Amino acid sequence: MPVSFGYVSREAATNLWRNRLMTVAGILTVAVSLALVGSALLLKQGAATATAQWQQGVNVIVWVAPGSASSQVSAIGQELGAVGYVERCTFRNQAYDFAESQRILPADLASEITQSDTPASYRCVLTNPSEATALDQQFSGKPGIVKVTYPSQQIRTMQSVIHVLQWAFLAVAVVLLLSASVLILNTIRMAIFARRREVSVMKLVGATNWFIRLPFMAEGLVQGLAGAALSVIVVLLLYWRLGLGTVQRASTSIFAQMHMGLAEVAGTCIFVAIVGVIVGVAGSALAVRRFLDV
Amino acid sequence: MIRFENVTKTYKGTTVALRDCSVEIDKGEFVFLVGSSGSGKTTFIRLLLREEVPDSGRIWEAGKEIVHLPRWRIPYLRRNIGCVFQDFRLLPNKTVFENVAFALEVIGRPKHVISSQVPQVLDLVGLAKKRDNLPGELSGGEQQRVAIARAFVNRPLILLADEPTGNLDPRTSIGIMRLLDRINRTGTTVIIATHDAGMVDQMRRRVIELDHGVLVRDQARGVYGIDSAVAAAGGGSPTGLTVEPTPTGPVAVPDLEPRAVPGVATGS
Repeated sequence: MPVSFGYVSREAATNLWRNRLMTVAGILTVAVSLALVGSALLLKQGAATATAQWQQGVNVIVWVAPGSASSQVSAIGQELGAVGYVERCTFRNQAYDFAESQRILPADLASEITQSDTPASYRCVLTNPSEATALDQQFSGKPGIVKVTYPSQQIRTMQSVIHVLQWAFLAVAVVLLLSASVLILNTIRMAIFARRREVSVMKLVGATNWFIRLPFMAEGLVQGLAGAALSVIVVLLLYWRLGLGTVQRASTSIFAQMHMGLAEVAGTCIFVAIVGVIVGVAGSALAVRRFLDV
Repeated sequence: MIRFENVTKTYKGTTVALRDCSVEIDKGEFVFLVGSSGSGKTTFIRLLLREEVPDSGRIWEAGKEIVHLPRWRIPYLRRNIGCVFQDFRLLPNKTVFENVAFALEVIGRPKHVISSQVPQVLDLVGLAKKRDNLPGELSGGEQQRVAIARAFVNRPLILLADEPTGNLDPRTSIGIMRLLDRINRTGTTVIIATHDAGMVDQMRRRVIELDHGVLVRDQARGVYGIDSAVAAAGGGSPTGLTVEPTPTGPVAVPDLEPRAVPGVATGS
């Protein structure tokens, strides 16, 4: 028997309204659970991008003394280019480095720096980051070179910490997702339990199972969607509040190292929404099943 | 219309609800199903609704063998059966009209059918004026009338009633029985499981008696108990509620062999 769309939507709407409290409870359960799942996923992605950031940043900076002759500067550049394990080097002039220092350093420090104090630099990418020490030994103390800086052991520690964090966030997300599903299922089941009389009367007068099930599933869909929408708002708020959208601020906070594009956030939101819908619809279908077994 | 062929039903393998029961009920019959509590009356009704399946034996209903009916066909079977219960089973937050209309909506009847059929059947049960009341605002008898209206609105071939007057006083019960009788006269087969001895005696319709799951009596114009059945056989004609309700002890009286009823296969 075809079940009319009008019937299903009308029935779902009246029932949602009639059991307002249950509806709100269902929506809030979905929202809270999925917001937690979404946040955990977001942080996991953040950790992933932070790692990528570090790995990209494994380059050696050769600082050129301010006021060096341009011939000396280009000589250093040629010498760097001649080293086998140096993939490429980019020269950054004083103006660039000054601008960068102003952006990165805390305001009180930055204000004491002038452009003429700022060293120019070669940013070198190595074919193998572990050769950084060798490059340091080779170039440190050469005329015209102030200092060679490169990522040290700390960075590797940081990387492994982030790696662990990623897995932790993922595990938390999975656990939250499971508990959210159970909570949602239970909420829907309670709502249906309150209406088991109605279901039994429907069975008695010869309603097909789909006829009974569809309005409940439509309700689940609405609750799942509404809950997911709320959780998406929470995830977006988190994204903006933690400044995950802005690139690398000068802060020791781990969140500062996490940044992700809107595409990744949108992906998380879409995932959360889909999970909300699936949990709502499948949860209702599952919850109504036992009442259909007559 | 309905045929049980050596039907046995046990619960959890030990409690026998129906033992080797064979019976046939024709179209348009009015049948009382009597017996003490636990005699298998309700199981009989539940088997007809396909809420239960027998352990063995076969059941035909409206020309179909229903024991092996696939699950998805069950709703369509139930559309041919109206049923009424002791506890009415009305939806408390729907009005009288909506409760009756619900039965038609659920099977996908169009609006214009609903708006013509429901008032008609409410008129039949005498509740046309209370169509906008909620069940809670009605008396027990009126609620049962709504339940009957709901069971009958789809013009089922069979109407099953499990203790329809169990919660009602004798006067109200008479009204309900009259209504069921009227419905029977439209050609609907009516089967009533009941304890109401007075009612059975008064109506003088076919009586099928079960005792511990065994069909012990199938009588064409029977009464509730044995003694009055004997009296009836002797020519006495109990009239109405004045007949004393008689005990319904275990039945094994030889001279109460089921009478041969045309078209009815009796038990044992």
